[in-house]
Amino acid sequence: MSAGERVWQGIRRQRRAVFGMAVIGLLALLAVFADFVANDKPYYIELEGESYYPVLIDYQVWVGARQWPAPLANQRFSQLAERAERVLWPPIPYSAAVPDISGDVFEPPSRRHWLGTDGLGRDVAAGLVHGIRISLTIGLVVVAIQASIGVLLGGLAGYYGGPVDLALSRLFEAMLGIPTFFLIITVAAVFKPSIYLIMVILGLTGWVGIARLIRSEFLRVRAMDYVAAAQALGASDARIMLRHILPNAIAPVLVSMSFGVASAILTESGLSFLGIGVPAHLVTWGSILAVAQSNTTAWWLAVFPGAAIFVTVTAYNLLGDGLRDALDPRQQGT
Amino acid sequence: MLAYVLRRVLLLVPTFVAITFIGFAIIHLAPGDPVELFLSGGLAAGQTGISTQRLADIEKAKAQLRHELGLDRPIPVQYLHWVGRLVRADLGTSLKDRQPVWDKIKPRLPVTITIAGISLLIMYAFAIPLGIYSAVRPNSRLDQFLTAAIFMQYSVPSFWLGVLLIVYFCGGDYFAWFPPGGLRSLEYSSDWSLGRRLGDFSYHLVLPIFVTTLGSYTELSRYMRSAMLENARQDFIRTARAKGVPERSVILKHMLRNSLIAMVTIVAGVLPSLIGGSVIIEKMFSIPGIGQLGYQAVLARDYPVVLALFATSSFLTLVGILLADLALAVVDPRISFGKAKT
Amino acid sequence: MLRVQVVRALACTWVLLACDGPRESKTSAPAADEAAAPSAPGAAPENAGTPVRGDWLVIHSLSDPENLNPLTSNDAGASQVLSWIFPTLVRIDPNTLALEPLFARELPQVSADHLTYTYRLRDDITFSDGVPLTAEDVVFTLKAIRHPIVNAAPQRNYFNSVADAVVVDPHTVRISLGEVYFLNDWQLGLIGPIPRHYYDPDNLLGGTSVAELNAWDELEPAKKQRAERFAKHFNESFNRSPMGAGALVLEDPARDYVTGEKIELRHRNGYFAPGQPWLGDPWVDRVVFRVINDFDAALAARKAGAVDFMGLRPVQYLKQTNDPRFEEQSVKHKDRAGSYTYLGWNQKRAIFQDKRVRQALSHLVDKRNVCDKLLLGLADPVESPIYPGRPEFNSALAPWSFDPAKAKSLLAEAGWSDTDGDGILDKAVDGARVPLRFEIVSNSGNDDRRNLGLVVVDEFKRAGIDVSFRAIDWSILLEKVKSFDYDAVILGWTNSGTIPPDLYQIWHSSQAVPGGSNHISFKNAEVDGLLEAYRVEFDPAKRKAMYDRVQEILYDEQPYTWVYAPKSLTAYDRRFQGVTWYPTGGTQETEWWVPVASQKYR
Repeated sequence: MSAGERVWQGIRRQRRAVFGMAVIGLLALLAVFADFVANDKPYYIELEGESYYPVLIDYQVWVGARQWPAPLANQRFSQLAERAERVLWPPIPYSAAVPDISGDVFEPPSRRHWLGTDGLGRDVAAGLVHGIRISLTIGLVVVAIQASIGVLLGGLAGYYGGPVDLALSRLFEAMLGIPTFFLIITVAAVFKPSIYLIMVILGLTGWVGIARLIRSEFLRVRAMDYVAAAQALGASDARIMLRHILPNAIAPVLVSMSFGVASAILTESGLSFLGIGVPAHLVTWGSILAVAQSNTTAWWLAVFPGAAIFVTVTAYNLLGDGLRDALDPRQQGT
Repeated sequence: MLAYVLRRVLLLVPTFVAITFIGFAIIHLAPGDPVELFLSGGLAAGQTGISTQRLADIEKAKAQLRHELGLDRPIPVQYLHWVGRLVRADLGTSLKDRQPVWDKIKPRLPVTITIAGISLLIMYAFAIPLGIYSAVRPNSRLDQFLTAAIFMQYSVPSFWLGVLLIVYFCGGDYFAWFPPGGLRSLEYSSDWSLGRRLGDFSYHLVLPIFVTTLGSYTELSRYMRSAMLENARQDFIRTARAKGVPERSVILKHMLRNSLIAMVTIVAGVLPSLIGGSVIIEKMFSIPGIGQLGYQAVLARDYPVVLALFATSSFLTLVGILLADLALAVVDPRISFGKAKT
Repeated sequence: MLRVQVVRALACTWVLLACDGPRESKTSAPAADEAAAPSAPGAAPENAGTPVRGDWLVIHSLSDPENLNPLTSNDAGASQVLSWIFPTLVRIDPNTLALEPLFARELPQVSADHLTYTYRLRDDITFSDGVPLTAEDVVFTLKAIRHPIVNAAPQRNYFNSVADAVVVDPHTVRISLGEVYFLNDWQLGLIGPIPRHYYDPDNLLGGTSVAELNAWDELEPAKKQRAERFAKHFNESFNRSPMGAGALVLEDPARDYVTGEKIELRHRNGYFAPGQPWLGDPWVDRVVFRVINDFDAALAARKAGAVDFMGLRPVQYLKQTNDPRFEEQSVKHKDRAGSYTYLGWNQKRAIFQDKRVRQALSHLVDKRNVCDKLLLGLADPVESPIYPGRPEFNSALAPWSFDPAKAKSLLAEAGWSDTDGDGILDKAVDGARVPLRFEIVSNSGNDDRRNLGLVVVDEFKRAGIDVSFRAIDWSILLEKVKSFDYDAVILGWTNSGTIPPDLYQIWHSSQAVPGGSNHISFKNAEVDGLLEAYRVEFDPAKRKAMYDRVQEILYDEQPYTWVYAPKSLTAYDRRFQGVTWYPTGGTQETEWWVPVASQKYR
């Protein structure tokens, strides 16, 4: 049985992990097709005898393949629809980000707006669906950065040991000593708000856990006979590290990465909640929650995004914990 | 032993210098001018604003102030000055109100540390029994349930929970069980008996501590569980069982003691996150702690305060790590004092 | 509220607002039409009985005042506290807005050339340590303000024309000025004297006159050295321990000034006008500023009775304070606040130099809807920089219409049309087609401004303008605005209802320099002339005529799109009697009192 198969078998036996993966998969699906689930542009509109597919046109305009046809350019589709011969709307016919103060603001959940609206008349359901993209992207990108740095530095420290290890260990210690959240707030508050900046800061500050894990795994694996054998055969250091040690050391990192995603999502929503770091026009789960703080009577602004964060983070945590149990060969008997 | 301690302490110095220099560079390279803010009154989150009439006068005042504060010198020079003062236990003066920085931190530090400390105690009080149970009966129905419940708690965003608690339990439209913020009642006076003062204080701290604790103890109990499981597989436990030592005694005497050592070491890891997380909690509950001080100082570009907090909190963390390592070294005979080990 | 405004009026004449979200007492100043009517929905209780002394007034404060030195402090939170401790030479009568004597025996004698003001002081004023207030203290106050090393630059600006101030006799001060300015009556009269013996115990400024301090570079070295020693001490040592001649004192800073919690001012005996609240003697025994950083926590505190008087946010006013229980214990009040929010078009940018473009953009801002929806109806559309309750306000200006069609034709007139079919307007400039594209910036942390930004961006986009909105940190925004490094900005100014306006600082072309308040670089020769003439005109009717014309020009030019003036919303505990909302400027908390039976604190 290969390592991959073994992991997969392990995971499948962990119901929590399977559940977590299912939820994450569903969320990912929603994120990919967010424009088809919630959009203020219809799938199809027939106007003065002409047929258009606005959602698709939007993609084409976005990649620069074409321009908006004149009758649709800069128009509100909700208004166009009134004089259209035929319209087919997505299930949530609203945009996440475009304000609409023609009607009421802070509308409670209703048939029109399933999860209500915020202070700019924006549909919360649409905001949540599009917010998945941001949350998942942040989680994955941040963890990718953390894992690359962590594996590289941890691996070097563990493999070479000696002065390299001593120096890198000081670096790890320094990173541990840096008040991370404080640093994040400082950077996020003073630089131009950007989702990418947030990803980079979270990535650059959170890798030390992975690095320490990898270091100790490398220390352990390096001592094994087959590594010595590979060295004796004249394999290069890089090859030994990549082909021989890493596959055996990666398991705990996967666990740590899964928790890392959860914690990155939580941190990002915390920053949005404080109102720093995320650009004003982006609707994120945390930013919806922040509105709830200024209008506590609008319970739907607190409950739904809070639940969305909760479900996502729980899914990743369950996956991580399931992975841990699945990957730990020593626990198999229990 | 002494050599080991000395070595570790000396190694802390370059680490500390690196941390503070990073902090120093970031805050000084950040856009935004404290002198501008100071003279225009737009401090802390920009409550008021600028008022200018005769610019020459303002410009002159700015140059004067910048010089007075030493902000017109190159950053490395400023850093050296800062370190020089730090060595003499002088953290400088706040740009905002010219109070010594230490005077601003001093009353706030105990507040944050108290909250973090009490939370930590509560965390252990819950985490250890839960961890023991989960480890003794792994994958039992209750273990499964506890695991799920724990992860749910872990996933609740603390700021969200805080908002809900304030709205529902702090005298809004629902229950007035707790005060909506602050540390003391308005009627508070130093003439009160110690008991009454303590009571008032704890009454104000219930919710902040609850929110602080909830997110973190779950992590601890997971650590506890895996530490116990790890120990359960050790040879000496098997030996003990084989020798017929009662199960209860195996668990309490052998497994627990060794697991607790592991728990001690992670205090160092939890403490900084508690202090970092204090920003949101202190802001929400109007608690005058260092989290809030730091947040306001960042917005106002109050460099000396930001740096002092940066230094204090990294210092605490480093010392925490060191103490945990030393404690481990003392307790665990397997760790030698020679070469640094994993 | 009025008290607050009076004392700090000088510093606040024009204040660029970072934050108009929390509308606290400090900005309130009601319009005549509204304050005359009983406040909705629970009318203020009948002011029954004779006022009695006692009880405390607990006022909510959103943040800690950082500095309680009356000259160097610069934050609104501090001015709220300091106004109780440092009364002024004259006061503004809340009913008539006329200046009335307070610490001065009568209004000053002004020389025919308007350059010399002589104030005669009462002889029964004492500082809270019992030492009498004399002319020396007033002169000392001016010295400290004019001292170039004292960190009072913003305040110093308002006294730039003070050439000298001398003690004529122990209770007479003569102030000579370098230039004629009709607002000098207010600026000089609203000085709050600080005690020389406390702030300069070694009398380091004793031998140095205001005139000498003005000519700092020529000051003889010995005096300069003493003056520098004074400044260092003054800048650093009094930030937590103010001492003045007011009816309230910060008795023991260690006990009464707890950072992050409260500032407690206590009533003292020995104030010169006991039982005369209009002269600054409050009925309550203590005024406590309770620091609560969060508005919802503050409202919860009001509901639990821990705070007596607080500002409300629109959502709180409309939705969270309507239950019978709240009405039973609290009174809500709604006033027009003395500030407005605007979109400023940087006229250093080519696209905004065309008046028609600015007018078109204004036609794309649906002010009515913004007020009704974003501000939940608790704001009014505005068309002019002048506070609507002031006589100088030009009431003939019709609301600027929301009219996308007209905007389109104005833009077409200005040469902007979509020639390449990409949905974005463009125009040939120097042979190349440039798109109509710009960015609106504002400060982060202000939800109202962010919401306004997002709404107008959407509307502009519909009109074929490629526009984006960005919220940036206040200190960075300040730098950008001051150096004209932006396209368009959403900001706010305060405009006082109690003191005559002076638009010079914001609209005169001389102020369109880096760092100046004319940060959009508006330049108009006729406006310049009127602004200059206005400053030396002592006839209010003539001043009004001049400003009517200035407002007409500004209205036509639309250098700003004036958007809205928020309402000031407050709630206070029903046990307080004597709460009057003046037609001309908020309430005077000194007049608040509580019948013995309902007194809550001791």
